[in-house]
Amino acid sequence: MTLPKGFGSGGSGGSSSADVERMIGKRVENMTGMITISYLAAWGATFGGTAAGYFYYPWAYPTNSGHFAFIVLTIIEAIGYIFCVKVMQEGSNKNSNGIVAVTIGATAIGTFLISMYVGY
Amino acid sequence: MAQMPALIPKEVEIQRLKKIWLMVIALGSIAASVEVDNFVDGSLHQTSIRDSAFTPAHWWLYSHFVALPLGWAACAMYDRKIPVLRGPNNSINTGLKMTILGYLATMFTIGVNEMWHFWFVEEIFAVPNHWMFNMGVVVAFMGALAYVVRVYARLVELGAETPGENPYVAEMYKMALEGKLYSRSIP
Repeated sequence: MTLPKGFGSGGSGGSSSADVERMIGKRVENMTGMITISYLAAWGATFGGTAAGYFYYPWAYPTNSGHFAFIVLTIIEAIGYIFCVKVMQEGSNKNSNGIVAVTIGATAIGTFLISMYVGY
Repeated sequence: MAQMPALIPKEVEIQRLKKIWLMVIALGSIAASVEVDNFVDGSLHQTSIRDSAFTPAHWWLYSHFVALPLGWAACAMYDRKIPVLRGPNNSINTGLKMTILGYLATMFTIGVNEMWHFWFVEEIFAVPNHWMFNMGVVVAFMGALAYVVRVYARLVELGAETPGENPYVAEMYKMALEGKLYSRSIP
């Protein structure tokens, strides 16, 4: 197979596995850390966004409405997070089920505690 | 199943398609968040007619309408590394083009909307400046759906994803990959 300029062995058309690895760069199955940090950042931003509503505009955004939006968005984000990690690792021998379980569990407990005690 | 010719090694293409998939999930979540904010902003406007552009519901809405066109543009920049996703005459993919144009419309509508509300403070859902938000999002959703189906079909074709086990769905994938599903696919 002909490879882009800079790859392969000088025009003879051959490609080695080292060339392929170099073209790939960071493999998606090794991106669990970045995906987890992004999920936690999104979850934190969701809390910040809804909290801004019920702390600054309590007459327009009742705390219960804010928590409802927070819970719904947390579920959407959690599904996206699981989906990202599982799709990125399928077909490889990597397995990050432990990290995913701990992260989802922690955000679930955090969501529950925030919904019970914050903003009233 | 017809195999499209590849210009890059299969393993490289699968990795790149999955990176596109990551971006699509992130941008899809942002779009879902906008839909939630439709209700939040709607509930605020039940109470206040139009206070200012700087309410939490408006920060939420407007920041997303800036993030979405920029995010999809980043996706389009990365998309150039996957030859099979190119559009007609090696141009930008048609679905991506629709998505970016749709969300760009919503981004410019932020300004148009502010200008309208300078004179007319009533937050009536059906005013023309709001049509532009809604139509932009609909155009973007149609384009994104076409693009996502194309990426998924290619992952199926490369053997990295398993198509639906329902025989009717499997037949539809087969026809789409053979280019015979004219009315339901964008080439």
